[in-house]
Amino acid sequence: MDAAFLIESAVKVLIVLGFVLLGVPLIVWMERKVIGHMQDRIGPQRVGPFGLLQTIADGIKLFFKEDLIPGQADRVVFFLAPALSVITAFVALSVVPFGDKVTVFGRDVPLHVADVNVAILWVLGTTSMGVYGIVLGGWASNSKYPLLGGLRSSAQMISYELAQGISLVSVILMTGTLSLAGIVAQQEHMWFIVPQFFAFVIFLLCGIAETNRAPFDLPEAETELVAGFHTEYSSMKFALYFLAEYANMMVVSAVAISVFFGGWRGPFLPPVAWFLIKLSLFLFFFVWLRATFPRLRYDQLMAFGWKVLLPASLLNLAVTAVVVALTG
Amino acid sequence: MGEAILFTLFSLSAVAFALGMVFRRNAVHCALHLVGVLLSLSGMFVLLHAQFIAAIQILVYAGAIMVLFLFVVMLLNVKGETPLLTPGAAKGFGFFFAFIAFVELLWIVVSQGGTEGEPAPVPALPPNFGSPAEIGKILYTTWLFPFEVTSILLMIAVVGAVVLAKRKFA
Repeated sequence: MDAAFLIESAVKVLIVLGFVLLGVPLIVWMERKVIGHMQDRIGPQRVGPFGLLQTIADGIKLFFKEDLIPGQADRVVFFLAPALSVITAFVALSVVPFGDKVTVFGRDVPLHVADVNVAILWVLGTTSMGVYGIVLGGWASNSKYPLLGGLRSSAQMISYELAQGISLVSVILMTGTLSLAGIVAQQEHMWFIVPQFFAFVIFLLCGIAETNRAPFDLPEAETELVAGFHTEYSSMKFALYFLAEYANMMVVSAVAISVFFGGWRGPFLPPVAWFLIKLSLFLFFFVWLRATFPRLRYDQLMAFGWKVLLPASLLNLAVTAVVVALTG
Repeated sequence: MGEAILFTLFSLSAVAFALGMVFRRNAVHCALHLVGVLLSLSGMFVLLHAQFIAAIQILVYAGAIMVLFLFVVMLLNVKGETPLLTPGAAKGFGFFFAFIAFVELLWIVVSQGGTEGEPAPVPALPPNFGSPAEIGKILYTTWLFPFEVTSILLMIAVVGAVVLAKRKFA
């Protein structure tokens, strides 16, 4: 482990971290603007050009708000929960390749923080750890609505994790590797969305459920639960939950791009540009969904996860296995 | 050097979390400490070149099983449960089992560590040691029978759970 490697890793960690921290305000702005226009409004437009600085202003406002902690709350866990949410989202991004190798100072630098040979399991593992942030936040608040939101989310995320994992397994069967960089490398001639279209649909649906976005945003269903798991959170702790939700959207999109859409591959433009373009399209899709669909009922959500998505992903896996075995 | 530092770090945190798990009164805190133990162990697995096991440890134990534990603890809302034994009896049992464990460990140390001189050299790892492909190969060749038996066992557990859960509505 030489010094150059350490410096290289540190720089890459800072780049990814900075990208997420700067990207999230942009996504929030994009979400408000797009939803605004979809609902025949204009969205934010006062702060900065096109309202671009609106989310920065909101962030500063959240920084200076009073930090309220409920009297009966479990203080340590109450502090820990939002941090857990954010950490798991950031850590998951460390294995996503966002570009081809580049040469810096005569050194070949692969553009991902770490090429782990179990990258997909790493992403699934860290996102499954993300449940803790929400469940514990709901529990530590010691209040009814947050607890209900937290319990809903744990049930929801565990249910959808299964189908999500299995949908990825069918791609792993085709590639024979768990490394995201390896999977991207094998999509030189064809993106895996073509042979694995159903796996992609299942993965995306589960990804939306995992990030608690509409139409699967039951943990924070405001019409039933006030604000769900983060009802009691204010100030920067609330902002951390907000940050984690958008960072998780980035994780799901980045994994979907790497596994099904050829990662950073694309003609003419540099690889990083392609990655960013695909990422923006995915994030737009997330926003589009939120503006379009009403929230599911809780029993519908569970039935959909266990009775539709899980059998569908298993069927897809079985068919893939047969085809892979026959064609070698 | 780096490995030694990491090993110390992970083992210390594992022991600290384990102690916390035993001594905390609040069931949710205990569960969280157990998650800490599992995460530290997963770090150790990485140091042992078993990345697959490390990832599975996080994904299955820390990410799924412990979430269900937590789920149950929160739903049942266990606060001050009535102790099964009187404090004196509990202490007696504790000392008894601790003594047995101590004798057992002592026995292992005495019987294994008795040889003089240098410890045996660590054999070189085969290539791809601990990679998912290698583990898969071993599971489906050498250990096929235990592997399949485990899967049947889990199947039985699933069917049992469904039967037990359904009985209420019959």
